[in-house]
Amino acid sequence: MKDDSHRLHRAFNPRTVAVVGDKMALGYMWLRSLSHFRGKLYSVQIDPREFPGIAALGVPNYTSLLDIPDEIDYVIVAVPSRIAPQIIRDCVRKKVGAASLFTAGFAESGTDDGIELQRTIADIARDGRLNLIGPNCMGIHNPRLGLRHSPDQPYGDGGNAGFISQSGTHATFFSLVAPLNGVRVSKSVSYGNAAVLDSPDFLDYFDSDGETEAIGLYIEGVNDGRRLFDCLRDVAQRKPVLVWKGGETGEGSRATQSHTGSLAGSPKVWDALIRQCGAIKVASLDEMIDTMQILLNAKPITGNRVGLAAMTGGQSVVITDAFTAAGFDVPTLTEDSYRRFAPFFDTLGASYRNPLDVSLNFPHLDRIVQSLDILSRDVNIDAVVLEVSVPFMQHLTWLDASLLDRMVDELAQHKARSPKPFITIVVPAHAENEAIEIKKKLSSHSIPHFPSFQRGANALMKAITYWQRQAD
Amino acid sequence: MATSNIVESARKEGRSALTEIEAKQLLKKIGIDTTDIKLARTKKEAVDCAKGFGFPVVLKIVSPDILHKSDVGGVKLNLNSATEVGKAYSEILASARKHKPKAKIDGVSVQPMARPGTEVIIGMTKDAQFAPVLMFGLGGILVEVLKDVSFRIVPLVKRDAREMIHEIKGYPVLEGYRGQEPANIEVLENLLLKVSDYVDKHPEIKELDINPIFAYKDGALAVDARVILES
Repeated sequence: MKDDSHRLHRAFNPRTVAVVGDKMALGYMWLRSLSHFRGKLYSVQIDPREFPGIAALGVPNYTSLLDIPDEIDYVIVAVPSRIAPQIIRDCVRKKVGAASLFTAGFAESGTDDGIELQRTIADIARDGRLNLIGPNCMGIHNPRLGLRHSPDQPYGDGGNAGFISQSGTHATFFSLVAPLNGVRVSKSVSYGNAAVLDSPDFLDYFDSDGETEAIGLYIEGVNDGRRLFDCLRDVAQRKPVLVWKGGETGEGSRATQSHTGSLAGSPKVWDALIRQCGAIKVASLDEMIDTMQILLNAKPITGNRVGLAAMTGGQSVVITDAFTAAGFDVPTLTEDSYRRFAPFFDTLGASYRNPLDVSLNFPHLDRIVQSLDILSRDVNIDAVVLEVSVPFMQHLTWLDASLLDRMVDELAQHKARSPKPFITIVVPAHAENEAIEIKKKLSSHSIPHFPSFQRGANALMKAITYWQRQAD
Repeated sequence: MATSNIVESARKEGRSALTEIEAKQLLKKIGIDTTDIKLARTKKEAVDCAKGFGFPVVLKIVSPDILHKSDVGGVKLNLNSATEVGKAYSEILASARKHKPKAKIDGVSVQPMARPGTEVIIGMTKDAQFAPVLMFGLGGILVEVLKDVSFRIVPLVKRDAREMIHEIKGYPVLEGYRGQEPANIEVLENLLLKVSDYVDKHPEIKELDINPIFAYKDGALAVDARVILES
């Protein structure tokens, strides 16, 4: 449900942002990350040696948060940990929308001092009803507003994928890798040690956020497991939630302790939580993005019968193996479909059973697209998969440079008129650079694409399993 | 006696574990079928109980200090006559006293030998992050060796119960593999839901194990149970 009155709405959609403690030693990473921020940006820094650097970036500087003659919606705190309590008190007094504490050296350090300091700032924030994100985190990314935590993150257009991450790296990587795969961030948050705000608070916000249609969650631990259970079960009824649990092994769980101070808990119980709540379990950033591609850019179905089209004979065999191994049926087609195929396949001798080997139909794009249309109209078929072989396409584009662009346009039109999910597998072989260009073209038309048969099959199966459960 | 009274009386005696008799009384109260069970304090009582139930019967040691009854020679199965019951009674007491000289012994429990069925187990433990969690699995070697079990967080809804039963790899065994009697899945689902509902409302229960449950095509019977209370 859309709700601008959510307690975190101001923080995720700020009109004003203040950065406390950015400095030359950090390369002014915060102020530089905010160079395209579409609201008013302020710096707070007491060290006169930093003033020229901040002034050079064109950002007004104050020596106290309280001196800024404006309401502040979101504060990024990058001061040394011992000063953090004082700044958090200022944030309370200033009645800011939220503060994100980048500073590390709290509970994750495992030291008595660190744990005590985290308790102190949490108490100040709770007493002052301050929305505190972190510590030990990167905070909020809203590309539409140019609110970023890394200068290489995208800005400008926003997307519909929300990402909640206990790790700053995964939040950053998600925002960088997802767009290459046709998935763009609506908003994301890295929340680190979760001293006050924890995953359920953010799930609740992303549920209320009208721009977010699917939610990814990277999680290492949680303060209140019951609260997460209730919240996840509730939110997953309305929006798909993909959960990537870090620290699933004994060794990994030791790492979460020193990374975000989290107790990882039993993997079996986390699995149970994810299933029971109707969320989707993923095991890596790739799997997260792969599955989101389907959920956000393909039409939902509940059947598992695929029509497969490959560009060569050898690939038509192994694409079938890969989809079968992932739990799909690769059925024969209806007689009607075979009749439609016959005129243009028979003359050329290529195979038009399922899987199709479409190689000999090139460079006649109309025949390729016609094949996909026949597959997608066949009542035995629930989803259509096309292999795009990069070396094969390279040979053809040598003859006709416009072929690739025309093909992607045709595929986009096919996708638009097909009532069923359509995905592509872009097989790079040796041609990684050329593959990236093809992927960008496909992404620009929101056509899901995957770098291997296995990854495409796995993601499609995860999405179908989710849609089946929703329909059940 | 309400379940709260069973728990209360154990607490008054300073015990954190219910006896098998108490645990089965508790299960009956929450609507779970168990084997009949009676406490016998003397050999004569044991024989009389056995005659009352009809043979064969099972005798087990009843002691708040003995949790693992088989380890002290405290279980005798398939006793077919008054003579066998009398002999078993003496042997159980002697063996228990030998293994655990300081244990307080209440007597032995007598229960009819249950008709064999497909063995399943249901357990509840408290997870550090998610509190009560239910476990379901096939009994015996499958759960011990293959760890073929599924988990759900309490409270369960009907779908959770159905899914956690279907999720185990040994599920085909419950469907009646190779002519074996199939288990009634709906009965097992309801069993899970009853346990979930009970432990959800009773935070004083720390652990609960029903192991084994004999699953039949028309029902399920809790054959042994263990309940640990929060201190």
